[in-house]
Amino acid sequence: MCSWREPLVLAALLAAGAAQAAEGVGRPATPAELRAWDIDVRPDFQGLPRGSGSVLRGQELWDAKCASCHGTFGESNEVFTPLVGGTTAEDQARGRVAALTGNGHPQRTTLMKVATVSTLFDYIRRAMPWDAPRSLSDDDTYAVLAYLLNLGDVVPSDFVLDQDSIRAVQQRLPNRNGMTRAHGLWDVKGKPDVRAVACMKDCGPEPRVASTLPDFARNAHGNLAEQNRTFGPVRGADTTRPAGAARTGAPAAAPAAVKPAAGLTLARASGCLACHDVEAKRLGPSFRDLKARYAGDAAAAAKLAARVRGGSQGAWGPVPMPPQRQVAEGDVDTIVKWVLEGAR
Amino acid sequence: MADPMKIRASLQGDVVEVKVLMSHEMETGQRKDASGAIVPAHFISSVQAECNGKAVLTAHWGPAVSKNPYLAFKFKGAAKGDKVKVTWVDNKGETRTDEGTIA
Repeated sequence: MCSWREPLVLAALLAAGAAQAAEGVGRPATPAELRAWDIDVRPDFQGLPRGSGSVLRGQELWDAKCASCHGTFGESNEVFTPLVGGTTAEDQARGRVAALTGNGHPQRTTLMKVATVSTLFDYIRRAMPWDAPRSLSDDDTYAVLAYLLNLGDVVPSDFVLDQDSIRAVQQRLPNRNGMTRAHGLWDVKGKPDVRAVACMKDCGPEPRVASTLPDFARNAHGNLAEQNRTFGPVRGADTTRPAGAARTGAPAAAPAAVKPAAGLTLARASGCLACHDVEAKRLGPSFRDLKARYAGDAAAAAKLAARVRGGSQGAWGPVPMPPQRQVAEGDVDTIVKWVLEGAR
Repeated sequence: MADPMKIRASLQGDVVEVKVLMSHEMETGQRKDASGAIVPAHFISSVQAECNGKAVLTAHWGPAVSKNPYLAFKFKGAAKGDKVKVTWVDNKGETRTDEGTIA
C-alpha cells in the first residue's frame, strides 16, 4: 500500500504548483492490472464472467465457507442480519416485497431488499468469504449464489446457474421492482427522503433540558468508553472522569507511525484480523484474552494451532471459527506462538 | 398449507446433527393489529422428529418461540441415507410433515 501512497502525495503537491510538472510521474496501468481491478458486474450483466454452478455444489461450498456466519439456511441472525426470509411467492410474481411496507417482517433480509441479482454475484465474488475474499472461483461464485437463491425459493433445488440463466433469475427476484431513482438521493429534483420544515411563527415553546444525570451517577453504568465499539464514529464518553476532562483509557489511536510487528503483519496477511483484534473482542476473542487464558499452558500452542487449522466452536461463545486451511502450516505455528507471547 | 420446512441432517462420527427451519407465523396472541383488535394466537404446539419409525425428539412448544423457528438437535443410532421425518402441529390443528435424508 505504501508504495503508491508516496508518489500520489508527491503528484498532488506537484499538481498544485505546476500541472505539467506531474508529467513523467507514474505510468499507465497495465492491462493485467486493469483486469484485476475491473471486476464489477452491472445490473445489465456487463462484466459478468462465463461460468456455471449448481445448487448442489453451492450447498457443499455453503456448508464449508458460508454457514459458520450465515447459518445453514442463510437464516442466522448471529453474526450478520439474515440473508433469507420475509419473501413470498406473491412477492416473486409482483417483483415487490410486501413485507417492506408492512409490519409483518420487521427485520429486513438481503433477499427482501436486493433488486438486482448482479449485485449479489458481484458482492459474493468481491468480498466473500469474509476471511478470504476473492478466493472463490467464478464457477464457485455461481454455485454459492445458486444455493442462496434456492434457500430463498427463487430457483428450484436442481437449478444450474450460469451466465445465461442468471438473466431469467433476475425476472424472479422478489424485489426486482423495488428500486426507484425518483428521490432526492439520485436526483436533486426528486423527493427527498427527509422533510424538514422550518417553523416560522406560532411555534411551540423553546425546548429546554428538563433533567440531567447528576454527577455522582455519571459512572452508574460503568465506563461507556469501554462499552462502545473501538471503530466507527461513536466512541462513548469516559465516564470514570468528570465531564469535559481529557480522555484517558480510551482506545488508542491506530499506531500508524509504529512499524507493526512481524506477527501482526503475518496475522493480517493471513486474514486473522477479519475476526480478531489484538486488544478488543470482535467476532472472535482478542489476542490478549487468548494469551490470558492460556498463559502457562504448555499444550496451548499445539491445541490452538489445531483449532486454527480445523476450526472450532464453543470455546469462546457460539460463533464458530471456520477452518483456516488457506494459511500455511508454518505460518499458523508462527502466529499462534506470537499470540501466546503477548501479540507484541 | 404452510410452506415446506427446510431439513438438513448430517452424520458426524456416530451422531446425526439435524437442522430444521420451519415456516410459521408463531403469533403469540398478545399482539394487536392496526385497528386495536388482538391478533389471535397461532403457534406450533408440538414437534416430533422420527427416524426409521422411531421418535428421536418430541417437543411441546408455546407462543414464546420465534416466527419461522430454527431447530437443531443431535441423536445417535442412524446411518447415512436414513430419513428424518419432522412433523409439527399448531394450536389450530394445522400440521405439516417434511422429510430429510441423512448425508
